[in-house]
Amino acid sequence: MSTKAMSQDLFADKRMGFFIYLGVEAIMFSTLFATYIIYTPAPVGPHPSEIFEMKTTVLASIFLLSSSGTIFIAEKGLDKRSTKMIIAGIIFTFLLGATFMYFEMHEFHKFIKEGHLISTSNFLSSYYVLVGLHASHVVFGLGWMIILLIQLKKQPFQLFKEKHKVFIYYWHFVDIIWVFIISIVYAPYLL
Amino acid sequence: MNVMEINIFGELLIIPTDVIAAWVLMIIGVPPVLYWITKKRHWPLIWDYATSTNHRKVGTLYIFFSVLFFFRAGIDALLIRLQLATPENQFWVFQGEKYNEIFTTHGTMMIFFVATPLLIGLMNVAVPLQIGANDLAFPFLNLIGLYLFVTGGTIFFLAFFFNAAPNVGWTAYTPLSTEDFTSGPNNNYYIMGLQVSGLGTIFAAINMIVTILRLRAPGLKLTRMPLFPWATLFTSFLILVAFPVLAIALLLLQFDRFYGATFFLGPQGHPVYWQHLFWIFGHPEVYILALPAFGIFSDIISNFSRKNVFGYTSMVLSLALIGLLGLMVWAHHMFTVGLGPFANTFFAITTMMIAVPTGIKIFNWLFTMRRGVIRMQTPMMFALGFIPTFVMGGVTGVMLASAAADMQYHDTYFVVAHFHYVIIGSTIFGAFAGIYYWYPKITGKMLNDKLGKWHFWLFLIGFHLTFFPQHLAGLNGMPRRVYDYTWEDGVFVYNFISTIGAFLMGGSMLFLIWNIYRAHRKKEENVGGDPWDGRTLEWTVPSPSPEHPFEKMPIIDRRDMLWWAKTQDKPIPVEEHPRAIPISTPTVQPMLIAAALFILSFGFIYHWIWVQVVGGILVLVFFVNRAFKDERIPAYEKEESEDEY
Repeated sequence: MSTKAMSQDLFADKRMGFFIYLGVEAIMFSTLFATYIIYTPAPVGPHPSEIFEMKTTVLASIFLLSSSGTIFIAEKGLDKRSTKMIIAGIIFTFLLGATFMYFEMHEFHKFIKEGHLISTSNFLSSYYVLVGLHASHVVFGLGWMIILLIQLKKQPFQLFKEKHKVFIYYWHFVDIIWVFIISIVYAPYLL
Repeated sequence: MNVMEINIFGELLIIPTDVIAAWVLMIIGVPPVLYWITKKRHWPLIWDYATSTNHRKVGTLYIFFSVLFFFRAGIDALLIRLQLATPENQFWVFQGEKYNEIFTTHGTMMIFFVATPLLIGLMNVAVPLQIGANDLAFPFLNLIGLYLFVTGGTIFFLAFFFNAAPNVGWTAYTPLSTEDFTSGPNNNYYIMGLQVSGLGTIFAAINMIVTILRLRAPGLKLTRMPLFPWATLFTSFLILVAFPVLAIALLLLQFDRFYGATFFLGPQGHPVYWQHLFWIFGHPEVYILALPAFGIFSDIISNFSRKNVFGYTSMVLSLALIGLLGLMVWAHHMFTVGLGPFANTFFAITTMMIAVPTGIKIFNWLFTMRRGVIRMQTPMMFALGFIPTFVMGGVTGVMLASAAADMQYHDTYFVVAHFHYVIIGSTIFGAFAGIYYWYPKITGKMLNDKLGKWHFWLFLIGFHLTFFPQHLAGLNGMPRRVYDYTWEDGVFVYNFISTIGAFLMGGSMLFLIWNIYRAHRKKEENVGGDPWDGRTLEWTVPSPSPEHPFEKMPIIDRRDMLWWAKTQDKPIPVEEHPRAIPISTPTVQPMLIAAALFILSFGFIYHWIWVQVVGGILVLVFFVNRAFKDERIPAYEKEESEDEY
């Protein structure tokens, strides 16, 4: 019997638990998608097609979706136990995620400057709650990556691997939610 | 005298006297308790429980705090009944807004901080032992869940002490619950209290599912599990669907109240959208409360009849079916909204269909008892009291499900009577049965059977006296949530009987307290691992259950394995290489995270931006701290070093 049995058992527990947690988050997001669909477009305030910008959305999407690819470098590194690949993968992903956040902030900032606030219309309220919750997930993920880099140095590799894997699931999940945001929030009013 | 005017620093505070009385009681009452704890040297014990991640200890705390909140919300119920005892009554302060506050507190507290955690506590204690798990899959997360529940409950509890109890009913219907109609902190307490504790409930559900799916003893297939773990599994899935929706509903309400959104009011908002979201949570919640109780009754009835459960497969399937149907009946709370004949018909039919699997369960329980060797002890008494009580609640449920008739019943005392029959009938009877049944497993001591029977009979009689007349009051047109009625309304007798019954129920609880006090008064010897001559795995381990109770992991090849081993006089075989045990070490981190969330919540309740910032930063700091102080580090280091050869 392999001595890795303990960490494998506990990792399998954790993976199942985390997948269920992501299911919980998926239900939360679907409730917000429903809210957005119900209230958009609103009878008052700007129409979504007047304020969404193709350029920002496309650039943000390119950066976030490609970060799901770079995280594979880190995952490869985990399997090969190559610290270099892990660090490189995390840093690339971090930079791409941070760039996504730049565009996200740019969009929020622009809306607020133009006077499109939470209280302007129900379309904007549900937009801010939904996209804002997703953005806060990305920010949380960025912080998580910094912590992972420190954990890599400090924690037993098997435990680090487990934590890193869980992060990878999280990051893919955040990406999938973004795909839904593109197709439900932006696409109907941009195309 | 209804209010007291106090002048502090030139500001005039007008405080109702019930709040003053509560503060005075606290100030007089708490120091003696603290003195007693110090004198008896109980602090180390309390610290042990507060920091332990062992499932039995966490479960005990769940039960302890739920019972505490039960007394608080029960006193609210007695005050409500005193106000309603006679027509045109003016009891103390409980009219108008104060009455709104007290029924809101009673309902919210009973559902979120009594019924739900009471059952989660029993699951914590019993489920791992029943399936041969050494602990829950995530012991740390389990303690977090407990602290979230206690923190949410405390936030809600404190509202009254700051004279800001929520006042829009436990359903918090919009637009009444939005800032335009109920400004002030009152309903912010509702939002934050439920948000915090709801997260804890979700964590508990995740923990239960993973434990049941992955930590069962070898050979214990799902189809060999006792019915309480089965019920726990289905309940947990319902929690996963229901509570996230509530979380988002509360978030949207928070945006309406705090940040000027208008999801639920105004020309763009839809008040009915709140009702949908709330009941998509709220109706599964009813089954979240009922299913575990069904599981407890199945185990108890089987044990005290010395027979295996009749119709095991149909029992499991009907649990699943009730859970599934429970997800698609929410709009029967909204028949009078005007959703149209199609919606009303659909929801009426799905609702009535629930009676079928429930009926199957009732008959299976009866057949389990048939030709059994029945022992009339307290847990069994509660199970027997449950069956007729719940059937009556079920019958009125089918009556309420007919959309046309519901136009008459809606928002009357008929509804109040119905949901007390089903919720007290299942959840509270089930929780009492479970507490008497597993008390030896929790503490190593038995509760006295005679006192238990006093508790049971007084509670049962008090219950029916309280709630049966409410059907009649409702049919005579008495609306719920009113603090007054007249002589001409002709509902005095019903209300008066109801008040007497409520005090009987209140009195019966004193027998439970006395019983528990008696059990711990002197050092009696341990009752041993198997005081009830049990059938399931929890009775193979010592009482109180030790940490890592299954050091020798049993191999299971049938249902009711322990009973089989007893009748065949054979030992249960032992697995040589069991799977890894979840790592459980004492920790203060959940306490710190909960404290930070407490600060954050008060920041939101009173719109103190700086407190929000400080609370938020503290939450993150403790979160990061946890990332580096993982309790599994030593175990993994050990594994790592053993691996390097």
